[in-house]
Amino acid sequence: MNVPDDRRYTNDHEWVLADGSRARVGITDYAQDALGDVVFVQLPERGTTVSAGDSFSEVESTKSVSDVYAPVNGSVTEVNNDLVDAPQRINEDPYGAGWICEIEMNDSSEYGTLMDAESYRQLISA
Amino acid sequence: MVPFGGWDMPLAYPAGTIAEHLACRQAAVAFDVSHLGTVRVSGPDAFDRLQATLTNDLAKIGPGRAQYTHLLDPADASVVDDIIVWWVDEDVFDVMPNASNTDRVVAALTGEGGPAEDVTATRAIIAVQGPEARERLEAVAPDAASVPRFRVRRFEWRGAPCVAAGTGYTGEDGVEVAVPAAAAEDLWQALLDAGAQPAGLGARDTLRLEAALPLHGHELGPGITPLQAGLGWVVAWDKPSGFLGKDALVAERQAGVARKLAGLSTTGRQPPREHCPVIVDATPAGAVTSGNFSPVLGHGIALALLPPGITAEATIEIEVRDRRMAATLTALPFVRRRAKGN
Repeated sequence: MNVPDDRRYTNDHEWVLADGSRARVGITDYAQDALGDVVFVQLPERGTTVSAGDSFSEVESTKSVSDVYAPVNGSVTEVNNDLVDAPQRINEDPYGAGWICEIEMNDSSEYGTLMDAESYRQLISA
Repeated sequence: MVPFGGWDMPLAYPAGTIAEHLACRQAAVAFDVSHLGTVRVSGPDAFDRLQATLTNDLAKIGPGRAQYTHLLDPADASVVDDIIVWWVDEDVFDVMPNASNTDRVVAALTGEGGPAEDVTATRAIIAVQGPEARERLEAVAPDAASVPRFRVRRFEWRGAPCVAAGTGYTGEDGVEVAVPAAAAEDLWQALLDAGAQPAGLGARDTLRLEAALPLHGHELGPGITPLQAGLGWVVAWDKPSGFLGKDALVAERQAGVARKLAGLSTTGRQPPREHCPVIVDATPAGAVTSGNFSPVLGHGIALALLPPGITAEATIEIEVRDRRMAATLTALPFVRRRAKGN
């Protein structure tokens, strides 16, 4: 499974890539592989306030639906509208074109508290 | 791999469910469906035992043919199992129930005149399905490739005694092959080498849903009769032998069914799911029995048990996790097989 070193991870298999106070969020290669072919993404709305750990999006495959949990506290500033018609981007390119949304973090230091790539590799190989 | 009816089965191969689904609609795929039971009913009274037990009329077919039929619960005409019968030889029938129902079917078909023997473990079944299924099979087993729809034929493959039937569960043309377990892996590999793509349980489910083929435990099962499932054609009301559950089913037919299977389509991609409530004209009316995203149509489709007589003018909604999506009543099947020469 691909686990890029340039970003951080959660126990719920989201990845987070921060640029200053702005955090881009998606689901990991491991998560998309477990889900199978993604056919629908319930995107959060721009402007939504999210609390870390809250479900704020859903990713559905032909076999199941999976919640996406906010990795940090903040508000949603951008969503990836390409996923409306092409949810398979999550399977094809989970760390790139398959991003789900961007969150403006209330406190940028939260990012550093998330799991690094090495810890996430250990989590999914356990 | 996922557990299914006591078997470990592949949900999808590396291509993924959607690609496998589309390959079956456009080319050819191979499914390992060895989890289907095979109950061999034989002996001079085999015909009579089957005829008196199952709903359809075997007198309408003959040796070398296949028939879809039901086993009903005598108490309430619930569908205990839906079954394909392969009439292999004059006195030999291979009855093919769903994975988890094999024991119940064995019990119902065992009689004084002879056994109903569960031979599931002795053979594998490979289903080759799709508009190019027969072309792919031709290169591997020509005798199997030419078996007509709903016909059954014995043949040998590399010396192994096999049975081919022009049956399937995808809405496409195709052939199902029963092969001795020892030869199954070689046949599977030969089919893949001939260009059939492997397909898993995920694609099998989305394909059968587009074709509106019922799945036991969803559209059929405890409390659901053939009439509610819209499968009255499976019932031979007038055959002299009768069948298990006839009295209860006749009573339901006279009273009229309280609910009936209907097809629903949504406009978005979000899959409706089993158990989602269906609201008709603002009133809860029933529930989805199977639902998913249709890879061919590009939107959600669902089968649901609803009161009979709902018209096209009704406002129908499906409730998916506290959100409601608009749905329209849709004639079944959702996807119809393209006309072919055979």
